[in-house]
Order: sequence, then C-alpha cells, then structure tokens
Amino acid sequence: MSESRRALEEQFDRILGDYGAAISRLAYSYEAVAGIREELVQEIALAIWQALARFRGECSERTFVFRIAHNRGLSHVWRRRPPYRLLEELEESDQPVDPRPHPEEQAARTDQRVRLMSAIQSLPVTYRQMIVLMLEGLSHAEIAEVMGVTENNVAVRLTRARKALKDALGVRP
Amino acid sequence: MIADHELDAWRERWNSVAEAPAEFQRKVQRRIKRQDQRFVLGNLLTVIAFLGILIFAVFMRQQSSWMGTGWATGICVLVFVSVGYRVWVLRGTWRPETQSTRAFVELWHRRVKARIRLLRISIYVSLGWIIFCAALTAANWTTIGQDVRAHPRDWVEVLVACVLMQPVIWFWAARLRRRKLAELNEVKTILDELDEKSVL
Repeated sequence: MSESRRALEEQFDRILGDYGAAISRLAYSYEAVAGIREELVQEIALAIWQALARFRGECSERTFVFRIAHNRGLSHVWRRRPPYRLLEELEESDQPVDPRPHPEEQAARTDQRVRLMSAIQSLPVTYRQMIVLMLEGLSHAEIAEVMGVTENNVAVRLTRARKALKDALGVRP
Repeated sequence: MIADHELDAWRERWNSVAEAPAEFQRKVQRRIKRQDQRFVLGNLLTVIAFLGILIFAVFMRQQSSWMGTGWATGICVLVFVSVGYRVWVLRGTWRPETQSTRAFVELWHRRVKARIRLLRISIYVSLGWIIFCAALTAANWTTIGQDVRAHPRDWVEVLVACVLMQPVIWFWAARLRRRKLAELNEVKTILDELDEKSVL
C-alpha cells in the first residue's frame, strides 16, 4: 500500500471518528427508518472517502464533511420517493434507547426528541439543511460555505427556517 | 452575548438523537473494498466488451456476404457514435465546481437535462437501427438464399426481433423520461429555493 493511500485512510478514519455521530444525526433529518438510515450513513461515509482524495483544504474539514453529507442526503430524498415516513410512524424498535432511569422523564425526552425530528423532516430541504447545520453549531459563514450562498442569504433564511420549525413544532410566538 | 434559550433547548434534544451506528467504520471499510473491486471489474468488462466488438467486426468482415460486413460495420458505427455522443452530451457533468449544495444541485440539474436529451436521442437511434437493418436486408435479399426467404431465419429473424423489441424500448424510454422530468422539476424547486433573489 502506498504512503499517500495510507495517509488518506488515516485521515478518513479520523474524520469518521470525529464526525460519525454528527453524520448519524444529519441522516436522521433525511431518513426516519433505522435500517435505511444506516445505509445512508454508510453512503455518506463512502462519498466522503471518494471526495477526500480531491480535498485540498480549501475549506475547513467540518465544512467539507457537511457539504458531502448534505449533498448525499439530497440525492437520498429524491431516490426515496414517496417521501420518508415521519418519526411518529416508526415502530418502537426504530427509536434509540435511552439507558437512564426515571421512565416519565425518559418518555418526555423521547417525545420532545421525536417531535423535533418530525418537525425538521417536514421542512423544505433547504430549510432542513440550514436548521441541521445550525443545530450542529456551524457559524453563518460556515453554513454559507456549505450551501454555496452568501452570509446575508443564510441570515435571512435561518430566520425563516426557525419560524417554519417553530410552526411545525406548534410553538406560538 | 445574548442567550438563545430556544436554540439551546433544540440543540440539547438534537444532540441526544443518535450515535454512530455500531461497527460503522468496519462496515464502511468493507464497502470501500467492494467498491474498489467493482471499479476494477467494471473497467475489465468494458475492455472485454470493446475487444469483443472489434473481434466480431473483424470476423464478420472476413465473411464473403455483404450482409455480414454491413452488420459488423453497422454495430461498430452504432457503438462508437453512441459512446461518443454520450460523452459529448454529458460533458461538464462529471463533477461539481465546488462541493457546495448549490454547485451540487446545479450539477444535478445539468445531469438530468443531459440524460433527458440522451433518452430522446436513444428513441431515434433505435428507429434508425431498424431502418438500417431493414435496408441492409432488402439490399441483400437476393444473396440471402431461398431457404431463408422460405423459412425466415438468421438475418430476417434478427430483424423481426428488433422490430418486436421497439414497443418495449419505447415503453421503457417513456417511463424513464417521465421519471427524469419529475426529477428535473424537483431539482428546479431546490434551485429556486437556493436562489439569492428568492430571499428578497
């Protein structure tokens, strides 16, 4: 195995280690069914691997990962027609298990989480992307880089996306 | 700094959503290995198919009848023109200029449009192929032989098969085209959503 290939594999392993959970969360916004979601996560990882050889550090690694992941998510949304099921429709086995005690607290947390995910999944794809990137803690500049739009555009759209999310959650202003 | 409690609450819920799937990295490594193998196999099959066509053409050209030469030349021209046209139509759609969502969606848009063009042309090509086969058969009718004319076999059989395949090809192309047009609409919607003017 060549030195460059080994270096690439090490970088890839590190990226998966660092961003694996974030990629999984992002996949939740595009796919509600657990088995298919796992496939999507693997497809995203594969796409990152394919693009990694051409990555020259023109943006941050985090931006690079989210760009690839969202692009793959968009393709997935198209391929998975009729649209994905919402999380309420899922079976119990699809829900991540919370190991903590206090059943009421656990149930309330699960309910809040499910409502948030359902609301995000009901948004138009560009709003969904904005919200996911915001929840992952990306700055406006980073979101603009991921999406290929201006920062002003991000600011305006984020305000609208948040309003749309609040509407979807049934939050009154 | 102004505290954004709403965002903090959403983030807390969001971060509790998922962990990386079990054995995630190992599964990905396996898929990469499989993909590398498929890549090698795909290239190998393409080379074999290309060589096969060339050998077929040379073999048919050695036959004395015009028919064989015509078929071989026709198939070679069809393959080279189809591949050449495909490459020409799909130019500029291999990879996005950047990895951003906008660049990806623009590339997607170009790809779908190119594929719709290819589908339209493929219908004409399949029609052209039948006309070519029919003309070739008619031109060589005297040399085909009484036995074939009496009991349609060989070339006539192939021609009939080509004609019978047409409805299947048209149905398939129309179905694919409908799907591609729906995809084009979807991509246009996303492009409109990303349009800078739409935020004004």
